[in-house]
Amino acid sequence: MSLLSQPVKVVRILGALGIVGGITLFYYRAISVNNVTVALSFLLAVLAIATSWGLIEALVASVAGMLCFNFFFLPPIGALTIADPQNWVALFAFVVTAIIASHLSAKARMQALESTHRQHEIERLYTLSRNLLLLEVNGRMAQGITNLIAQVFELPGLAFYDRASDRVHRAGPQDIPVEGGKLRDTALQGTVYHDATTNTTAIPISLGGQPMGSLGFQDPQVSETALHAIANLTAITLERAHAQDVATRAEAARQSEELKSTMLDALAHEFKTPLTPIKAAVTSMLSDSDMNPTRQELLRIVDEETDRLNSMLTEAIQMSRIEAGQLQLHRSPQALRKIVQTQLERLGESLEGRKVTLEVPESLPRVSVDPEFIGIVIWQLLSNALRYTPPGSPVTLRASAGEKEVIVSIEDCGPGISEQEQRKVFDKFFRGKDQRERIPGTGMGLTIAREIVRAHHGRIWVESEPGKGARFSFSVPRSPRESLL
Amino acid sequence: MTNARILVVDDEPQIRRVMRTTLVARGYMVSTARNGEEALQKVRDERFDLVLLDINMPGIGGMEACRIIRSQGDIPIVILSIRNAEKEKVEALDAGADDYVTKPFSMPELLARIRAALRRSPLTSPGTPDLLNLGKTAINFVARRVTVDGTEVRLTPKEFDLLRYLASNPDVVIPHAKLLQAVWGPDYGEEVEYLRVFMNQLRKKIEPDPSHPEYLLTEPWVGYRFSLPKKA
Repeated sequence: MSLLSQPVKVVRILGALGIVGGITLFYYRAISVNNVTVALSFLLAVLAIATSWGLIEALVASVAGMLCFNFFFLPPIGALTIADPQNWVALFAFVVTAIIASHLSAKARMQALESTHRQHEIERLYTLSRNLLLLEVNGRMAQGITNLIAQVFELPGLAFYDRASDRVHRAGPQDIPVEGGKLRDTALQGTVYHDATTNTTAIPISLGGQPMGSLGFQDPQVSETALHAIANLTAITLERAHAQDVATRAEAARQSEELKSTMLDALAHEFKTPLTPIKAAVTSMLSDSDMNPTRQELLRIVDEETDRLNSMLTEAIQMSRIEAGQLQLHRSPQALRKIVQTQLERLGESLEGRKVTLEVPESLPRVSVDPEFIGIVIWQLLSNALRYTPPGSPVTLRASAGEKEVIVSIEDCGPGISEQEQRKVFDKFFRGKDQRERIPGTGMGLTIAREIVRAHHGRIWVESEPGKGARFSFSVPRSPRESLL
Repeated sequence: MTNARILVVDDEPQIRRVMRTTLVARGYMVSTARNGEEALQKVRDERFDLVLLDINMPGIGGMEACRIIRSQGDIPIVILSIRNAEKEKVEALDAGADDYVTKPFSMPELLARIRAALRRSPLTSPGTPDLLNLGKTAINFVARRVTVDGTEVRLTPKEFDLLRYLASNPDVVIPHAKLLQAVWGPDYGEEVEYLRVFMNQLRKKIEPDPSHPEYLLTEPWVGYRFSLPKKA
């Protein structure tokens, strides 16, 4: 790799010839020495030229030295002929030594030059990577990257095509003659583009096979390896910015979700405040046994609707807590049968005399759950089974133990759920199309149940055939401490 | 105890209104307070048999008011709150409440709980000794007094009733539900957290080492047992 311009080369060749001429003049005119000293002096000069200037200069000096040595010092002096065969050997030895030595020293010089160059490049790459890391992630980041590369590598001109924004950013004193279209093609095709007439090069930037952009250089005094390293550093910087952006967005979404949940929670509490005196007043009146039956029936309606409104608000509060990630479980070993009994008592009047058959074996192992929350799941599934099935039809709650978990199933003989709706029943606000208008509900109950079961590392699912009832099941882990009891 | 005096503390005027109307109709004497500070003032100035206390109020709030009232005397406190998480219930009981009712409540249920809170179990019942000495702790069941190392320890009525029920059935495991019904009343039975909190408070007051109780023992999953010292 020659970095020198032609005139410098010519001057140096003339210089080399001058040195050879000088040595010849010195030994021919000034002092008289033997031929070996002359040959060694020529050899030294050739080595010095090879080390400091290069191979061509050294070769020119070797040939000139050989000619001068022959002409001025080897007999017959003054002619390019050699009388003594011994001197042939001496001349030949001089030429071969000069050429080999030139080669070796020029090569060593090139390697030294190259390694200095490499080291310089590595230092620049290091500076670049450090500055890229410190680059602030914002809307002006792509321009920042372009400026930084041009500045660190002292490039006359640089163009950076950012695929994410589909824009070309330029930096450096010169505007390099490469169009946006070429840069875009380079990015998308992932191949290096080179234009020999303008000496411009464009290299693609990609990460994990994903094109991210391209960089355009004009006559870069940088090795190809360094160019690829620059492209890789740029790719990593873009990826880091992208990841940070995604994280910021996710955080913003989470905050907005949290705000929504907090507002829902506050709203639900606000609604419960006026419900309290309504409920207190109506139940107080209802406890008067002398009331006329019509009035009593009307008050009972007010009471029931107050309860309904209250349970809707309770669901809204539970849902907002779950969505805000505030579901804090206090798990302990629990007897499932007891949780079920509590919930059946809670259902109380809404059972309307309907019987729920319990098939919970006495020997059922304890489960590791938060009884309050698993109670909510059982309550939801039982009240759904009661609400969506005709009065008088049986509802069964079954529990069975597996190796690591206990499975609870609630089975009804209602209209069942179509396969298409089965996939959606646990979705928030989903309500079956036949039930939407007939049966009151918020569409949050099963979502709440699912989230609670998931928080217990359990599963919840539904099996149903239209017309043949539905079976909702969930699993909860067995208590690990069971074996100690 | 129908002419008992009840203090209703709530920042919602309509709740105070409905409570006053209903409770007065049942023969209670009712006074109201709009916030914790006013409640503390009234409790200092007048004598009440029961406080119905809202939690979420401006100012010092119900929880803190409960703590202060409890530190000054053993008047029964029933908390009324919109929140129904177990954590809140336990916090309220820890603050010295005797019961916790979730809003909105049905009036007959609240009345039953008021009756339960006002009811103190009869002074003596068969099987209860008049005096019980447990090492440094001495319990006088007739005077409802407990002393540790000669210093009187104040127990709330419910704490005392719980201790007495356990002490009158020594070395027998009493299931949670039975204990709740005996001390709080027939409408109770599921409020296991009440027992946990009250038992902790009792242990702190009478056990030499509350974290390794000698007398008030837990029977896991079942209930509690009062262990009578062998020498006594």
